Amino acid sequence: MPKADLDNENPTILNVSQLPSRRQKTRSARNGPDSKYDHILFPKQPWPWGPSKTTSSWPSDDDEDEVEEDAYHDEYTEEPIDEQEIYDLISTISDPEHPHTLGQLSVVGLPDIYVTPAPTERLDPRSLRTVLVELTPTINHCSLATVIGLAVRARLEQALPPNYRVDVRMKDGSHAQDDQVNKQLADKERVAAALENDTLRGMLDKMLETCA
Amino acid sequence: MEAAAHITPLAALKPDLYQRAWASVPHPTLPLLATTHANQVTVFSLTTLSKHSVLAGGHTRSVRAVTWQPAQPATRLRLVTGSFDASAGLWTWDAESAGLEREVTTAGAGVEEDDDDKDWEFNLVLEGHEHEVKGVAFNPSGQYLATCSRDKSVWIWEDVGGAGGEDDEWETVAVLSEHDGDVKAVAWCPDVAGRSSKARYSADVLASASYDNTVRIWREDVDGEWICVAVLEGHDGTVWGLQWEPSTTKGDNKFPRLMTWSADATVRIWTLREEEDEEDQGEDVSGGSRLFRSGLGGIPNTMRRSMREEWECTAVLPRVHTRAVYSATWSADTGLVASAGSDGLIVVYAEDGDGDADVKMASPSPQPETAAAAIESSAENGAEERRGAWRVLGKVDNAHGPYEVNHITWCKRFDAGAERKGEEEMLVTTGDDGVIRPWQVRISS
Repeated sequence: MPKADLDNENPTILNVSQLPSRRQKTRSARNGPDSKYDHILFPKQPWPWGPSKTTSSWPSDDDEDEVEEDAYHDEYTEEPIDEQEIYDLISTISDPEHPHTLGQLSVVGLPDIYVTPAPTERLDPRSLRTVLVELTPTINHCSLATVIGLAVRARLEQALPPNYRVDVRMKDGSHAQDDQVNKQLADKERVAAALENDTLRGMLDKMLETCA
Repeated sequence: MEAAAHITPLAALKPDLYQRAWASVPHPTLPLLATTHANQVTVFSLTTLSKHSVLAGGHTRSVRAVTWQPAQPATRLRLVTGSFDASAGLWTWDAESAGLEREVTTAGAGVEEDDDDKDWEFNLVLEGHEHEVKGVAFNPSGQYLATCSRDKSVWIWEDVGGAGGEDDEWETVAVLSEHDGDVKAVAWCPDVAGRSSKARYSADVLASASYDNTVRIWREDVDGEWICVAVLEGHDGTVWGLQWEPSTTKGDNKFPRLMTWSADATVRIWTLREEEDEEDQGEDVSGGSRLFRSGLGGIPNTMRRSMREEWECTAVLPRVHTRAVYSATWSADTGLVASAGSDGLIVVYAEDGDGDADVKMASPSPQPETAAAAIESSAENGAEERRGAWRVLGKVDNAHGPYEVNHITWCKRFDAGAERKGEEEMLVTTGDDGVIRPWQVRISS
């Protein structure tokens, strides 16, 4: 996109030191750039599950379910992921038109991230947790809102365990076509198809390059 | 005592696909199941519960939907795939070279990996859609194929090949572009007793479900034009799919009902208001205050008035799901409905007052633990009165662990564990984890 077409030529930019932080970042991207969306396009079952024998409501059928039996219970104990950690995952995404991150441009903010049930509540690790991220595009008709939303959803689906459901929305009143963008970002099929689109994927790759 | 469904997992089909799988569609008669994942289809044998064959190399992007062409010669398998690459593909398995019987019954065992796809031939690409193809469906005779897409259109194609299907020749007979958003799924009304009982037009009826939150019903008029005869409004989110009532279990010769499911986390049942009803309720027509009245918004004025249909939402199934319902399935044998979706739940429902179900189930089931027994026990009141009342018989949490469930279908059992091969029904779910899992459903009262 040519520089002259910037939707917002003078966005407010926060210094890195002003961004919310726990100083020591606890989690960072675990995959190289080439594999950034692989698990979304082709999720490889990082936590292989099958109906587990430990669930009391299911009678065990030992001979049949061997394949699903896995070292899951040994390897995985849930460390709750809190809002700061979610923020750390997405604030470093680059804006598609400015040479700054979504955190610096205040497109994402710590108070606009909601984890339900709250991370402090300890649950059975298979229970669903919902992460809601409300985005504030730099101006209210930003044509790239969908792309930013897609990058946030892609980033979180890549980094979070499979029992997290990611909802990405435009903050109320922040974007002229809120409903349309929100509906698109909530549609699994459209998101999957978008990630197979080379042009879009090229943009996302570039935006996610800055994620540690 | 209230009837309950006991839903227990059976061994997953082998192998796991280890990547998102979208849908698994059983063959109408043979023990085969076609699963879409990445840019291919894996066909499983329901006899061995393992891989039968693979359809690969035809599409450049994900295959989202698949359907079996019905009414084929006994020596032939035919599949149509719908892909994000904007095309639909036509595939044929020719039994003369492969030995259909042998392959179907012994598949998986002793077949070399390299040979897996040698017998599926990619015959034809149906091009025309501008964006991702999301649904494909054949009418009951196999003559018409409907495809739908993110380009907001539904295309109807006619198989005009030779009688034996020797030539692959297809013609576009209609392009229907009245939806305001992606068309997610299409379904043809099955050829059941109620379909033609009061037919004033052609027998075939098509329904489409859309991102625009509506469902549309399409019929062919006397001039051979396909037109929209009803718009079903009521869902408060994308309508992910739809299925016609698979058999007229009511025995009343009514037109089949339509089941739809949505991102609004509900499953709904819609009923055509037939002519004698309209007279009964004549005063109500102008009232407009009835809940769930189907609207006719968006239908062009040029539409023949006589073809308009009134569809009403006559039931919302009990709300159990907390997130989008991606799939639901209605059994022709038992009338039971099962649904699944983003929340990982499987839910099984029964309709109360299903007075005819016992007749249908009586003959082939020696066991007392049948759906019929359960339904019978609760069917003491008049069926018509209680029509539309559904209740939950059972559910399973985390059916695919923490993953979303993209598809659920009733399916006949043919494996060694089946008590009545080819008759007994099971559920099959398809998940983001790439696991295709059968489930045994037992009803106790």
